[in-house]
Amino acid sequence: MRARKFLVPVALLLVLALATTIVSAQEKKVKWEPWGPRVDQIIMPIIKDSEAQLIAFERGETVVLPGLVRPGDINKVKQNPNADITVNLGFHMFYLCFNMRRGPLDDVAVRQAVAHVTNREQIINQLFQGYMLPLTSFVPQSSPFHNPNVPQYPYNPEKAKEILDKAGYKLDKATGVRIDPKTGKPLRKMKIFTPTYEVAPTSAELGKMIAEAAKAIGLPVEPEPMDFPVMLEKIDVFDFDMYVLAWGLGRIPDYLYTFFHSSQDVEAGYNTPGIRDPELDKAVEAVYYPPDLETAKAAAAKAQVILSQKLPYVTLYSRPYMDAWRKDLVTGYVPMLGYGAAQYNNGWTTLNIRRVQGPGGTIRWLLPEEPKNLNMCVASSAYEWEVLGRIADGLIAVNPETLEDMPWLAKSWKVETWEPEPGKKGTKVTWFLEKGVKWQDGEPFTSADIKFTIEYLKKNEVPLYISDLQDVVKVETPDPYTAIVYFSTVSYWHLYHAAYSFLPKHIWEDVKDWKGFQPWLEPHPKVKGLTKVIGTGPFILKEYKPGEYVRLIKNPIYWRLNPPKK
Amino acid sequence: MGFRTYLIRRIVYALIVLFVILTFNFAVFRLMPGDAEKMIIDPRFSPEARMALRKQFGLDDPPLVQYWKYITSLLRFDLGQSFATRRPVASELAERLPNTIVLFLTAFTLTMVIGTAVGVYAAQHRGTFAETFVTGAGLFTYAVPTFFFQLLLLMLFGYYIRIFPIHGTMSAPPPDGAFLRFLDRVHHLILPAGSNVIIGFGSWALYTRNTMLEALGQDYIITARAKGLPRREILYHHALRSVLPPIVTLIFLSLPGMVTGAVITETIFSWHGVGRYLMDAVLQQDYPAAQGAFYLIALAVIISNFMADLVYGLVDPRIRVGAGERR
Repeated sequence: MRARKFLVPVALLLVLALATTIVSAQEKKVKWEPWGPRVDQIIMPIIKDSEAQLIAFERGETVVLPGLVRPGDINKVKQNPNADITVNLGFHMFYLCFNMRRGPLDDVAVRQAVAHVTNREQIINQLFQGYMLPLTSFVPQSSPFHNPNVPQYPYNPEKAKEILDKAGYKLDKATGVRIDPKTGKPLRKMKIFTPTYEVAPTSAELGKMIAEAAKAIGLPVEPEPMDFPVMLEKIDVFDFDMYVLAWGLGRIPDYLYTFFHSSQDVEAGYNTPGIRDPELDKAVEAVYYPPDLETAKAAAAKAQVILSQKLPYVTLYSRPYMDAWRKDLVTGYVPMLGYGAAQYNNGWTTLNIRRVQGPGGTIRWLLPEEPKNLNMCVASSAYEWEVLGRIADGLIAVNPETLEDMPWLAKSWKVETWEPEPGKKGTKVTWFLEKGVKWQDGEPFTSADIKFTIEYLKKNEVPLYISDLQDVVKVETPDPYTAIVYFSTVSYWHLYHAAYSFLPKHIWEDVKDWKGFQPWLEPHPKVKGLTKVIGTGPFILKEYKPGEYVRLIKNPIYWRLNPPKK
Repeated sequence: MGFRTYLIRRIVYALIVLFVILTFNFAVFRLMPGDAEKMIIDPRFSPEARMALRKQFGLDDPPLVQYWKYITSLLRFDLGQSFATRRPVASELAERLPNTIVLFLTAFTLTMVIGTAVGVYAAQHRGTFAETFVTGAGLFTYAVPTFFFQLLLLMLFGYYIRIFPIHGTMSAPPPDGAFLRFLDRVHHLILPAGSNVIIGFGSWALYTRNTMLEALGQDYIITARAKGLPRREILYHHALRSVLPPIVTLIFLSLPGMVTGAVITETIFSWHGVGRYLMDAVLQQDYPAAQGAFYLIALAVIISNFMADLVYGLVDPRIRVGAGERR
């Protein structure tokens, strides 16, 4: 008991220390410039085994160890005087989900009681040695849409008991189980599904901790670790009471709609708790189809308040992105809110990273998995985009400190409404492109490439892009540097739905089988030494040896190579 | 029964076994809990996108239609398209197979040669410290878990004594020149192949020692000794030759292990081979990829068993006659 009492303040201190580290890492003025790259070549050795990855980092064979997760690895890296760890808040959420279709979990009092006995600090300290951030809202702290002013359920078993007593769930002292006021019988046994200890030991242990805490206040809850696919299957058909899982989220909070709108409460849908609330529906619809950013922000804030009242989930923690760097070998890596310093979404590190010994040369960047497919139409894993993301460039860039949009291939843009048919409103996005941008084979990048890409993806119903493009009506190109994309619905997010890494028209217009096309295996028709993987980005794909390494070389005609001379 | 009838019968058996395995291979992944779609579809996909993906991979077909497509595709040596990579499974396997063959042919040959030689040596020196040492070492290496031993080697030679590469089949990028590239490959092969030799030699040594000891007690060996033949000739020309048929059979029966045993080694040493591919495919419920890899393993097992039967039939006529008599 004494140890427990002592644990809580220690846990709080550790969590506070981590939060301070993260905040100070965020606030530390990061030096970055929109010019580069500063190295001649990036070699990406593919090392899948986590022990081998650590050894390679220790040996200096790779300069970065991205995505540190295991506390043991973090502690080991910390002991290396040549290692620097960047910490950034992430778009990640770990949660406990209730099945609100079943009693007694359909009663908010029961859900609130479970929330009050969930000791986030203890979980974070015991299972993660303090390397996680407690999460109490439905949008992680990294997001500009995060609302901290939501109803809170701090760890307080006494309060939990009080809520249950008030709601009529009287404790039967003989059995230690509360009586269901609706039936007058003891509450039925409930289960928390978790992945197995072999697959996800921390999730399994966490389920056990919550179940024990719930049991202590008279709720008969048992943990049930199970095979992951079985668990997903049961969740799909709503055959569960509670489960714990994580979401990897994005910058745009449109997932609030996918996860909690009543229309998504269908078998295999993503509204797994089965929440159906008209007020919430209205708020998340406004998040999904906002006419402008301000409306989206207000709606997201409101949705978070409603969700915290209704509690379909108890959000538990958010994992910060932690990347380790060999500071004796490289510098110029840029921490970025939400994405971390080493992820491909963070183009700033790609541009700014350089060797300590001077500009140029080669750096070695770990790839923890096989990229497998470098066809932009089918590449879906993060490892594929770790390569493609350094070859391609987007229309919009994201400020690493504020997450605000920045002009990139598009020097400016306009989001307006138009009338697809009388009385109906749609969105019209106009892109004004930078002049002088070239594909890596020397061909100019123009609005024709934008029109071609959108029409090609839509015509071929490329699954990865169907959701984004389903509302596109037409694309107009009044001149080579202006593209106008018309959508049939009103949503500010359409701005991002048409801001891809584009396909070079002159390469792809002859591709009939987009699924089977393997551009990295085909030589470029005109330029020797290039493949058909062509982008407008800072690096060119030179070589991909499956299972061994990927070799990228500096794009000598990159449009952001040097700042313009004054 | 003549050898020809025996051969035809073995071929028919092999084909029946192959068909049964293929059917099982098809069914097992579909009976496994979970939905492949979950592994390949992003939560943000719309119902239209999900439908398109299901259609692309034929997941919307009824099971019998899927089965028919599967069998007819295999007859055309079309192993389908991987869910995870959207690439033809045949090309992915072809990319990896040479690496697996190089690793395990090297490890297998060395294990077999060293194991057999050590076994003969132990049998020859029965009752000495050498025999006790070989038996003890053989039992110890046979009992140590492969992954644990390989991780130890990785730490020892990859971290503390940094003389061997810790991942891959070549340097990134490899050196220029054919000879230097060859040396680079050998350098990368030492840890993964060497660890398999150390783990595997024990069982070969113990098996050879036991069969040799049995052979050395036979009457014809005593006769050979009585005739005054040199010890060396008795050992290699008489005893070893008599134990060769079971050893040759064991070689063929061990061949499929080249592929199946690859999983752990290829994972630990980031070796781009079929074993790792199989593991990834199973974990991701990538039916076509897993089916392709299992098809390859099934073929290896059936061909190896067939070869073993064939060799046995050739070496020992009693086998083929006996098989006929049982009928």
